[in-house]
Formats: sequence, structure tokens, C-alpha cells
Amino acid sequence: MNVSGERTFAAPRDAVWKVLNDPASMAKTMPGVQSFDIHDAERWTANVKIPLGLGGLKMQIDMNKTEERAPEFAKLQIKGKGVGAMLNMETSFELSDADGGTAMKWAAEVKLAGPVGSMGQRVLQPIVNQQVEHVLSALDREVQAAVAGGA
Amino acid sequence: MTSTTITPERVESDAPAATQKGQNVPRKEDRRLVQGEGIFVDDVKRHGMGYIHFVRSPYAHAHITSIDVSKAEELPGVYGTLTGEEVASLTEPFFQLAREPASHLQDYALAVGKVRFVGESIVAVVAETRELARDASELVEIEYDPIAPIVDARMAQGDAPVLHDDAGTNVMWEGSFEWGDLDAAFAEADKIIKIDELHFHRFNSTPLETNGALAEFNRGTGQWTIHCNNQFPGFAAIMMGPALRCGIDKLRFVTQDIGGGFGNKITTHPQLVVCCLLARKLRRPVQWTEWRTDFHMSMSHANERWFLDTEVAVKNDGTLLGFRTKALDDTGAWLRYEPLGCIIWSQVAPGMYRWRNIRVDFTQVATNKAPCSPNRGYSRMQHLWFTERVIDIVAHELDLDPVDVRKLNYVRSDEMPYETPNGCVYDSGDYARMLDLGLELVDYANIDARRADAKARGKLLGLGIGSTLDSGTNNFAQSQLINSDLQFSGNNEVATVKLDIFGEIVVTLGTVPQGQGHETPTSQVVSDILGCSVDDVQVRAGHDSYWNSHAGFSGTYASQFAVTGLGAVKGAADLLAAQIKRLGSAVLGAPIEALELAEGSVRIKDNPEVALPFMACGAIINANNAGLPDDLEDVTLNCRYVYKPPFQVPDLERNFGNLTLTYATQIHVAVIEVDPETGYYDIVDYAAVDDCGKRINPRIVEGQVMGATALALGAATWEIYAYDEDGNLLTPNFYDYHVPHALDMPPLKTADIESPSPFTPLGTKGMGEGGGAGIHAICAAVQDALRGNGDAIVADSHNPYHKVWELLEHPAEAGGHVSVVNA
Repeated sequence: MNVSGERTFAAPRDAVWKVLNDPASMAKTMPGVQSFDIHDAERWTANVKIPLGLGGLKMQIDMNKTEERAPEFAKLQIKGKGVGAMLNMETSFELSDADGGTAMKWAAEVKLAGPVGSMGQRVLQPIVNQQVEHVLSALDREVQAAVAGGA
Repeated sequence: MTSTTITPERVESDAPAATQKGQNVPRKEDRRLVQGEGIFVDDVKRHGMGYIHFVRSPYAHAHITSIDVSKAEELPGVYGTLTGEEVASLTEPFFQLAREPASHLQDYALAVGKVRFVGESIVAVVAETRELARDASELVEIEYDPIAPIVDARMAQGDAPVLHDDAGTNVMWEGSFEWGDLDAAFAEADKIIKIDELHFHRFNSTPLETNGALAEFNRGTGQWTIHCNNQFPGFAAIMMGPALRCGIDKLRFVTQDIGGGFGNKITTHPQLVVCCLLARKLRRPVQWTEWRTDFHMSMSHANERWFLDTEVAVKNDGTLLGFRTKALDDTGAWLRYEPLGCIIWSQVAPGMYRWRNIRVDFTQVATNKAPCSPNRGYSRMQHLWFTERVIDIVAHELDLDPVDVRKLNYVRSDEMPYETPNGCVYDSGDYARMLDLGLELVDYANIDARRADAKARGKLLGLGIGSTLDSGTNNFAQSQLINSDLQFSGNNEVATVKLDIFGEIVVTLGTVPQGQGHETPTSQVVSDILGCSVDDVQVRAGHDSYWNSHAGFSGTYASQFAVTGLGAVKGAADLLAAQIKRLGSAVLGAPIEALELAEGSVRIKDNPEVALPFMACGAIINANNAGLPDDLEDVTLNCRYVYKPPFQVPDLERNFGNLTLTYATQIHVAVIEVDPETGYYDIVDYAAVDDCGKRINPRIVEGQVMGATALALGAATWEIYAYDEDGNLLTPNFYDYHVPHALDMPPLKTADIESPSPFTPLGTKGMGEGGGAGIHAICAAVQDALRGNGDAIVADSHNPYHKVWELLEHPAEAGGHVSVVNA
């Protein structure tokens, strides 16, 4: 499944970039994070409980930053492993200056394998859309907090 | 479709039947089944047994980089595990029917080093409860390195990733079949109809009871007892014995009641091997009952098939001269019964038509989907659908009536027995008469008025015809046409009939019934021969390879019980009847010619009061036999007969020979009304006409007809194993995979004719696999309804409502691409 979109933040590009590359800030934006470990600047792991259909889907998430051009572009490879499900996601975002702030174009290719992937197909798209909206809203809050803190 | 099924009225005669054959004797099995007293595999329990749960692959294609079962094994209540690596050291890979290079496939009971479809078994976990085994399986840690999957057979060649490095290719079998003179046929043609692509989709029969087994290992004798619901233990034994490095006498298969098989319960040998290994390893009985989702993901899908670049040579009047096509068969990840499907279609190479010139280039490829294996109508269903589709497309393109094209080209009744271009022999039948019966049932004479009435209501009415030739009783020599090294030919089945000490008539069968009702027609045949009532005949339920006499091809599959099973029963009963008469002759002092068997006794025809009851016969031979004449030395009243159909080995060079003994026929006619706004359609009229030769129990036949119709309508409209681009099965349960229930069935009208087979002992034909007719009837009805409304060509066997909407909205893109060339 491919999802993509665009969002504008009322903040300078450096501030947005900083939040997007700060694991602690990003952890606050992700849904259902139960624990978060930073191994180095490129690799983070997390235990999450993703709301998917009935109940939640517990997964161990491994994130690797595979490409970076500060302060405009980054690509992450995300692998998740849970009971009955394997998640593979490649996501990237691109920042540019925009009127009154920073525009972010983002895209993600999500692959969910295994029985959950089979049975969850009919509910996956709306859930992903919903979660993306949550993440972006949380990201906005983090950016504003960072701007406010920096100011 | 919300109409209630209407069964046809039957007038029962009160007069005593001259013979039991042909009577609607109530099924003897039904008392125990409707009272819940049947014994199915999951009912079998043993003290201390463990429950198996399989850990299955979430990936369609991946290397397995590590497996760690330690956390699962540490869980209290877990008895143990089995991994692919252990299987590889403890067993041999399963014997492959394929020739090189597919013969090099290393197929083990669990995945070894690599997974090739979502749902493939990797580890088996055994625990004290089913739920615990399932929970413990979640503690098994497996690391994967994913590989790009192949989910479209058309993309399996060229640069595609290879599933089986041992074979080095995804082509599992390929060969060309040509009969007649194609060049002459195309030269004679007025028109050549070209059809780019036709597609027969993937589904199966979803038996009510999933697969299962309980395995016990006797360490003293080295023998396994496998209580299971496998429908072809003879095949399972051939696969399992060499794999387990034991003789097949060490594998005792026991079945009793089975909740449907449809071919889907033939290829459980990998799971049964796992059960056997675990019973031996853990020193306890182990039990496996397949979850529904596991069945959908991993068990015996029907072959998906493409027909590419088809060309049909026709005269302007619709006379069919010949066709050529490229069949591309998707067999999934493993060859568990394949590549037999690459030849079995040719039992019906010309369909019901007088095509004399045929070329089929057949290729079977592996894909990252569940393995294909027999399914009701195995391999012929796909090909017959193709031939039927060609008929309607030809009629469409030449602006002819599909009814006329069929009648013009049907093999005629006066041509029976009819030898097809590839040497098969259609034994008997009258297709044109069957079609007339079907048309009459749906009031074809007034179809134009009904079409106009539907149009006035804003609906599009369509009428479609579908046909099945249900070829039954295989000649296993056809396996040599796909691999000349195979040493299988002919067919056989066995039965024993004995007269026991108190006069009980006891029958054992080599067959493995799964709900067909074998006990009842068996009793009818025996009672006619022995002159007793049906109730006097005891047919042992189920199959036990230790106690039931059986032959190499024993089992219940491929529409053959009415021929092989009942042929064996008749043979054994005839032998017993002869022995009873010889005993009666000695005791009553009358010549054998003067005797008859009637009312449970052997008696003098002209003086019926002089009779020796069966009870006395049984007692004399079994318990009071001193002083019997020497010429009764061989009279045991315990008779075994092996029925062998009269087959020859085909000509392997010409792909020519008789591949099957009988051809039952089904012609279905569907009338549908399509809502042009949504594509939704109702089946407003439906007729199923059956000819299976002599019918032993018409009501059982009627049940098969209705069941096959339900299978067809489900496949035509709802049932599909759909995969996404990553190889995830999108229909892994009954929520997504809708099987029609009673309220989905249309009003069903049935009729029948009887064309007795001249080749079988009772004039019977097997008839369990007639579902294909309905699949095509819906395709043809949709195409007919869309005539003048976009004129889409229906090119797929699966036509859900949204697909019909697409055909209405985008006929060129969603339909098949056809062109007509003047020859």
C-alpha cells in the first residue's frame, strides 16, 4: 500500500528538520509506543501496539535511516515483527521553504505480511489514514513545542 | 439471489420394487449423521495426547535465516517441537511425479531453508491443549530474508525469481499436444476467431470439515496408526512410506465419517508425516485439526489457468473445425499431486464437440501461492470452461445463437461410443436432448418475451448454457504421458462380501467415503444379487487399511465409486451368490440351475418352500462343516473381488489412448437479470440436467447435482483465492470467501436422462464432479445480458457484481479481446 501527502508547518525548516531527526521527539508522535530505544543516530527500535481492527497488534519495530540530505530529505527503512504479521515500510520526507513556514512532502510504501496482513486488508487503509493524521498532528505539536522552547 | 431452493417433486411408487437398484432407498448413514453420532477425526481422542499447531510463513517468498524454538519449548505444558531441519534429517523428500527438471524438487513436510507461500508450515509445536500449542507457537522466533514473490503465472518465466533452485526454473512441466490436421482445418475455415486471453480463477471446495489426524506410534512394531480424513490413503501411503523410510504396511490409515473431501483431502501427506514424526519423537499420540484459515491459506487450491493466443477455425454457419491455444497453468509453490493436471484435462480435449483438430501447448509454472491439487472437476473443469467459452464467443462474433452452435457441433448420440481425436472414448450420451430438457425447464420458447419484460423493469436478461463432461474412472497410465518413467497404469478397487455365522451379510469397501453415501448403493447392489433386503446388508463404515481389503488405487476420488467401487461390490457379491448356490445344491440335492436366491435364502425356484436360510448357510460353512463334500472345499462364503477397468497403456508418442472409462454429462442453463446501474444480478431461473448412466440411488444423484450447482454458483460469483502483489491471500476465511448458503441458491429445476455406460458392470458412471457447467452458465448468461449493452466478452470464470459493473462501464478494457479474421 502506498500512502503520501503534504503538510505545512508554521515553523522554520531547521526546526522541523530537528524534530524529524530527534528520536525522542518522534517517539512521541508514533501511535501506541510502549518503549523506545536509540541505538545510534541511524538506528532506533521500539515496541508498539498498533491499533488494527479488533484489539491491537503488538510489534517490535526496527527503524534505520538509510538516506539523509540535511535539512531537506531523509529516507527510513522500517521493519516490524509481531505475532502473525510482518511489517515492511519505506518512508521518506522532503522539506522545502513555504509561505509562513515549511512544507513537507512525504510518502510511504507499507507492506504487511502474514495472516494479519491477509485478514486486515479490508480495515488497513482507513486505519493507516487515521494513524497518519494522528502522527502529523502530533508532529505539528512537537514542532510548535520545539519552536516555543527554542524561542 | 435470495430465492429459496425448490426441489422437484417426486412421485414415489407404493408397488414393491423389482430391484433395489434405481430406488430412492434412504441413506443408511444418515441416522447416525443427523443424530450427531458420526465419528469424525476430531472426535478421536487418546490418553495423554498432544495437540499440534503449525507455525506458518508470513512471507510469500523468503529465505529462513534462523529458527529458535527454545522459548516455546520452555513454556509449561509444551511437549515439544519439530523443525524443518529435523524433518530434513529424519525423512526423504517426497517422491515427485514430474520429469526433469521439476523432479529435483526437494519437498519436505516442513519448510527447509526457504518459504514459498504465505501459510507454509515451518515449525510444529505440540502442547497439552490446542490453545496452548497455539500460544506457544507465538514464541517461536524465525528470522527471514524476503525475496520478491511471483503471484502471476504470466510473470513466472524469463527474469523472474526462481522458487526452486533445485529445478533451476519455474516451469514445472511443458508439452505440446496436437491431434488431427490443424493446417487443413484452418485452411478450410471461413473465419478465424482470435481470443487474446481467457482466465480460469483459483478457488476450491472448502469442505465443511477441515483436514486432521491423530497419529500413534507403536514402538514395539514400528507401526504408525493414523486416524485421519485423507480421502486417498493409497496415494498418501505411496508418498509417506519412502519419505518415512518404512514399508507402507507400517502406515495404518483409519477413517470413519469424513465431512467432505472434493479432492481437497488427497494431499495431506506432508502434515501426516509431521504427525508421525512427532508421535515417535514425543512418545505420545498427537492430534492435528486444521484451522479454517490454515486450510484456505495452504491446502489444495484448484488450478488457476490462462488460455492465451487462442485461435478457432470455423465455418460461417458455426461449424467448428479446430482450435489452438496456449494453456498456462499456475500450480502454486509445490507439486503435491501435480503435474498430473497437465494431462488430465485431455480426457475431455474436445469438450462435448466434434472438434477433430486440436493443438494445446501446455505449460505449468510454480508461483508463490498455495499448492494446487485435485478439486472437484480437477483440471477438466478449467478446460471444459474454455471450450464452452469458445462456443459462446464464436456465436457472439458470428452473430449466431449459442444454442444453435452447440447443437450443430455436439457429438451426436448415434456416434456413441465416440472416439475423440486423442483416443478417449465417450461411452454414451445424448447432449442435444439434455440441452432441450434444460431449455424447456427455463421456458426458452418464451425467452424473448421475458427479455422484454425484464427490460421494461430496467433489467438486462441473459441466458447462459454450461456443460460438464464428468470423466470418471481414471486410467492411471495417463501419468506416463507426463513422465514416461512412471510405472502406473490401469485402475482397481476391491470389496469383500461375506456371509457370517448367523447369516449376516457383511461388506467391506476399499473406498473412503466422505459423505457420498457409499453404504446405501452398496447395500442396494448386494441385496439385488443375494435376494435379501437392503437392511440385511451391513456395510462397514469408514476405512481401515489394516482390516479393509484394499488395492493400489483404492480411495474415493475422480468420479469412480459407481464404477470401480460398485464394480468390486458386484463382483464379490456374484462370487458369494455362486458359493451359496453350490452349498444349497449340495444340501438341498438340486442342480444349481434349479436354485434361486430370494428372501434371505437359497431355494428351489419351482418349490420355494424348499429353502436353506442364509443363517443356515453361514452356520454350516463357519461352524458345522464336518463331512461336507470335497467339492465344497473352496466355499468359504467370504469373497473378495478386485475390479479392474479394461484399459490399455496409451501411445506415448502420439499422446493417444483411452484415459478414462465413463463420461457422465451435466448441462446447466441459467437465466439471470442484471441491474445495469450496479452490475448486481439475480438468477431468476436455473435448470440442471444430468445423465450419469444407470442410477443406483437417484436421490443421492440428485444431492450431488445440487451440491455441484452450489459449488458452481459460488465460484462464478463469490469464491476466489485472491492474492495481493506481495503474495498475501486476501480471502483466508469465510468472512472474505463467501460460500453460498441456502438463501443464496436460486430456484433449482432438475431433470435427468439415463444413458447406460456400455463399458461398466452396472451401466453406471461416476458423477460427483459436475460443477463446471454452472460456472460457465453464469459467464454465458452475463455475456448474453450484456449483448447490445456494451457487448463485452466475458473472459474470466469469476464474475462478481463489481466485475459485471466494469464490463458494463468499460466493456473494451474489462472484457476479453477478440478479433475475427476472414480465412
